Amino acid sequence: MTTRSGPEADGDPSGRWTRVAERGSLFGMRITVWCYRTFGRRVCLALAHVVVTYFFLTDRTGRAASRDYLARIWSDPRGRRVLGRRPGAWQSFLHYRAFALAIVDRLAIWSGEIDAIDFDAHGIELVDRLAEEGRGALVIGAHLGSFDAMRLLAERKNTVVNVLMFTDHAQRINRIFRELAPNASARVIAVEPGSVHSVFEIRACLARGELVAILGDRLEAGDRGRTSRVLFLGSPVELPQAPFLLAHLLGYPVFLMLALRVGTNRYVVHAEKLADRVRLSRNTREKDASELLTTYAARLEHYCLEAPYQWFNFFDYWGDASSS
Amino acid sequence: MQSKEEIFGWVTEVLTREFEFNASELRPTTHLIDDLDLDSIDAVDMAVRLEEKTGFRFGEEELRSVETIQDVVDLIHDHA
Repeated sequence: MTTRSGPEADGDPSGRWTRVAERGSLFGMRITVWCYRTFGRRVCLALAHVVVTYFFLTDRTGRAASRDYLARIWSDPRGRRVLGRRPGAWQSFLHYRAFALAIVDRLAIWSGEIDAIDFDAHGIELVDRLAEEGRGALVIGAHLGSFDAMRLLAERKNTVVNVLMFTDHAQRINRIFRELAPNASARVIAVEPGSVHSVFEIRACLARGELVAILGDRLEAGDRGRTSRVLFLGSPVELPQAPFLLAHLLGYPVFLMLALRVGTNRYVVHAEKLADRVRLSRNTREKDASELLTTYAARLEHYCLEAPYQWFNFFDYWGDASSS
Repeated sequence: MQSKEEIFGWVTEVLTREFEFNASELRPTTHLIDDLDLDSIDAVDMAVRLEEKTGFRFGEEELRSVETIQDVVDLIHDHA
């Protein structure tokens, strides 16, 4: 059994803290943003280091997951060049530290400091073109780099980004977002598995020329039975078919978008088109979905090798696959 | 107001075009799950295509309650 999907992970102490930290428990969102606004970036950066160091020292499972992941990066010549030396405890700490840096940048974004982040121009032309055409698109992201930074860039181009989440708290999250950053247009859409209502809601966003983003590297409870097993960094993983099922249902193009941190307050956004028109034929749906997810996994792998420390899945990502 | 025959024609058109069924195997009594083996994703798929065609937007309960092609036709007809 893997510990990746929702309910399983809830019983998994190692996965929990990253989930809580990343999704931002509702109370946590308010309190950390308050902290950022009151004490500023430096203090928050120091605090984030303390918190992350604490987890690094106490979270044995997370540390093991980090070592496993970094060993996979090291086994690829491209990853070896970036890491420079065989990953050990220090590299794992750098991995945790990258998470602290990402959290502080996220607080800046949540606080509505829209000028806090600079972007390198790479790959932006695709986002530009989408914004100009006013054409909707599905965006697959990952827990690699900063999803919020990607969102911020799209917003600067006046493109609305909707984020799909399996959550019962969509309305409350949206309310907090509006409080924190009244000018931001991002919106969370709650997805119920197999729900026709969600699909209609998503289609309405796309039809208005908005982006609908979904994180494609983790399974949620609702993905059960709708996954494909594909190779990622040397071992098979189960990835959700949901983004491509939506693309098939609604007929919009699918982009991979990732924002990787390249320096203090600096990100580079990578945007690639994965499919113009997804067609999952009824008889070959499994095969078609698996091919699309293979492409996604290969591109994700490429960017992991480019920015290995920014992979924020501190749990046994490969599950049983790694031991088999 | 569309007749039930016309709506039946739309439903079979969607099922033949999107799901590659033979029109000849589609009758009003055809059962969506037992005969056609549609799953929940297919059902959503069908609902989206039919909405494009008819403007009728299935609710969650309605989509779950339909069993046969005739049920779909009746539902759309009654809401028209």
